[in-house]
Amino acid sequence: MKFKYILGFAFVVMLSVVYYEFNPEMYNFFPECPFHKFLHLDCPGCGSQRAIHSLLHGNIIQALNYNLLLVISLPFLLLHLLLKIFSYLCSEDYNLKIWHKPITPKIIFVVVVIFWISRNIPKEPFIYLAA
Amino acid sequence: MEDQKPNEQTPFGQQPFGQTPFGNNPGPAPKNWLVESILVTLFCCLPFGIAGIVNAANVNSKYAMGDYAGAQAASAAAGKWTKIGFFVGIGVYVLYILFFVVLGMGGAMMSNYR
Repeated sequence: MKFKYILGFAFVVMLSVVYYEFNPEMYNFFPECPFHKFLHLDCPGCGSQRAIHSLLHGNIIQALNYNLLLVISLPFLLLHLLLKIFSYLCSEDYNLKIWHKPITPKIIFVVVVIFWISRNIPKEPFIYLAA
Repeated sequence: MEDQKPNEQTPFGQQPFGQTPFGNNPGPAPKNWLVESILVTLFCCLPFGIAGIVNAANVNSKYAMGDYAGAQAASAAAGKWTKIGFFVGIGVYVLYILFFVVLGMGGAMMSNYR
């Protein structure tokens, strides 16, 4: 159980180094999203690799430009991870309660679908959402 | 043989003492896979994470209504979709890297063979 987490942590560090060193815009060995490759439409995750590269270089504005949803949700996910580690170390439950509220997944679903649709509209206020 | 204890069972239509009518939770909330499906939606570039989010919504609302078996079934479905998205995403990634490595090796060999 513990070994799995150490392996995952090492994997995340390795990926961060790769994404820091190489810009996915310039190098072609980063996989392209199949959804974008075949349908030529953006999915909610398109632009994540470039956004992570920009974030690792501290360029938040460009990351927001690549994938708004990723940058917005990362603080929540990091908070979740930190609370999880904290409650594991203290063996007490500090985890966020909002994940178990019935309304939370519905809000997330609506936000993701609206983001997905609106970033594919080729009109003036929406083209900034596209990857 | 399991003997029935009628004295401990509350009569029909009456709430047991000390329990609220809607907080009738027979166990801890099942894992709702919400964070995992958000991660799959954002990083695996595939719509399977959306199915995970929908099933997570089912888990939470069924558990809140007291439907524990339904919540567990929805939890299993959410886990299934999240894992499908995760492994398909990993598979695409690995295939792409393999494809690149094979092409790169081929190119290197060709240039040596020239």
